[in-house]
Amino acid sequence: MNDPVLNAHALTKNYGPTRALAGVDAAVHRGESLAIMGASGSGKTTLLHALAGIISPDSGSVAFTSASGERIDVTGQSESVRSRLRRERFGFVFQQGLLIPELTAIENVALALMINGAKRQDAIGPAAAWLQSLGLAWMEDRRIGELSGGQAQRVAIARAQVTGAELIFADEPTGALDSHTSAEVMDALLWSTTGQGRTLVVVTHDPQVAARCTRVLRMRDGVIVDAEVNA
Amino acid sequence: MNPQVVRVLLRPAPGNAATLVIPATAFAIVTALVLTVVGGAQSFWGWDDEMALIYQVLAAVALVLLVVPLASLGGAAARLSARRRDERLSTLRLLGVTPAGVGTITVVESTLIATAGVVAGGIRRLPPAPPLGLIPVRRRRRGLGAVRLSPAMIAVVCAGAVLLAAVSAILGLRRVIVSPLGVRMRAQVTRVHWVRGVVAVLVVAAAFLTAQAIPALTGAVTITVVLAGIFAGTLAVLNLVGPWALAVFSRSRLKRAQTPERLLAARTVLDDPKAAWRQVGGIAMASFMAVFAGTGVSLMNVMSSSDAGDSNLALVEDMRTGLIITLVASFIMVAASVGVTQASDVLDQRPLHRSLHQLGVPAETVDAARRRAIMSPLLFTALGSALCAGVVVFPLLGITLIVAPVSLVTIMAVLAAGILTVWLSTLATRPLLRRAFAPA
Repeated sequence: MNDPVLNAHALTKNYGPTRALAGVDAAVHRGESLAIMGASGSGKTTLLHALAGIISPDSGSVAFTSASGERIDVTGQSESVRSRLRRERFGFVFQQGLLIPELTAIENVALALMINGAKRQDAIGPAAAWLQSLGLAWMEDRRIGELSGGQAQRVAIARAQVTGAELIFADEPTGALDSHTSAEVMDALLWSTTGQGRTLVVVTHDPQVAARCTRVLRMRDGVIVDAEVNA
Repeated sequence: MNPQVVRVLLRPAPGNAATLVIPATAFAIVTALVLTVVGGAQSFWGWDDEMALIYQVLAAVALVLLVVPLASLGGAAARLSARRRDERLSTLRLLGVTPAGVGTITVVESTLIATAGVVAGGIRRLPPAPPLGLIPVRRRRRGLGAVRLSPAMIAVVCAGAVLLAAVSAILGLRRVIVSPLGVRMRAQVTRVHWVRGVVAVLVVAAAFLTAQAIPALTGAVTITVVLAGIFAGTLAVLNLVGPWALAVFSRSRLKRAQTPERLLAARTVLDDPKAAWRQVGGIAMASFMAVFAGTGVSLMNVMSSSDAGDSNLALVEDMRTGLIITLVASFIMVAASVGVTQASDVLDQRPLHRSLHQLGVPAETVDAARRRAIMSPLLFTALGSALCAGVVVFPLLGITLIVAPVSLVTIMAVLAAGILTVWLSTLATRPLLRRAFAPA
């Protein structure tokens, strides 16, 4: 197995009296697709948020190792440093896409580059290329409300990839889609991540989605209770 | 619906104080302003001399100008009420309450908040502000007695404000969808036709030609009547052309947008130019009025000083005072309306803001974009309206700049201060946005 791109050690997180993470150890290996499964309230989304530096755990650590070998202690950074890490090194796909409704498809994708300082004319080209590669070449100038759920998710995937993120986090990316569209979105997600040598971490309820990943972690009551490698 | 259920549903939810305080404060300020203007204008209706009609007409115009932003504020407050209660309202829909029932609760709640603000504003204005009585009318300080409103009159004005808030809440809710799955704003791209621009050019041209005849007129009364006609016509067309002009302006900004803030701001306006206009339309009217009436008043001041009686001179001075008071009131109302609309928008976009935070987008970028989406159309509108008025009274404006520059500079300073006030109101909702971006 490849070197870990993310290494989490003894993560705990409490929300009031509720223990969301109870001493989780986990590693995400470069180039793999890792599914995190579990019932509602099992802690899977909290784990994803802690791995991605969206939240600070109460204790424990998360370390990110870039492709160039640079090691960054995610949990030890300030919010602004973690924000920069998220927008420059990580990509995200959410259940509802959560794209900006006023912007067109291509502008939503280009925005990820513009936030990182790229000029608009320099951002449009890569954004268009990603949309084209995901089968949305003719949808560039459509607003998000004019796209189907599956098309919107593919725009979200393009947005996650366009910055060249090494690591993509997806939180229930197919949760709002029918089974056929769900399969198409997973095709696009896997092709654009592990298919390009990148790493994917997916939180999902859907066994079909988990079955397509290389490894599955199962959580219950804030701990990992099972880990399996798919054939 | 069972009144007990309504009472339970109207119970304040913890942690949402800002969304209650912002609209209530806005209504309090606006009511106090309206009462101030009504208090100042009421004595005009007791007059019966030859100048009385002009004073009464001008006071009525000022009040009408204040009603527009007041109505806009009511609609914004209702949308905010719906947004802050989204979970409760969508749960009710899940339980089988009809859209009309949910709408009723929202309108009742919004009207209650407005009533609290209106009552606070009314109590605040029960004793009139001493400086109000010091403002000279017809060159005489009228004293507090002349501007004091009776409790009955205050009650009538407050009832009118509450009624307006309720009606505009009902109208404002047309843009909100309360479904069992949540509350969201009606997503629709509103398009504005270029014909609006053609009509506007024709009306402004007609007004310009009419204005050419003004220097030949004599007497403050005749000039005032002609100016009022031109003013009303051009002002009406401003509302017609405003959304279209904003769309054209934002499209050109969009083409040149290189940063995320500029891109987001331009797209926000283009998404619904009519909504953008509703927010800044009051400024357009104020700006137009500032240049148009300011030029007229300044010029009449100069003309009257040489060949007119005391009553004409006093009328001109009073018009200038009234103009400045109306400008100040308009700007404060627009600032209040902008603050409430922004609060509603921030709540509406909470899930999106949370996701942007997760993506690592700085809150400052979104904050800058939403403020730009207000200030950019605001400046365009203020300058565009001023330019429009300048075209209509072009030769007079030139003369005024030469013979009475101080009057014009004063009015322009009030305009600038008003724009600054609106800018400050956009800062008031910053804490709400920061909360949406706050790390867990």
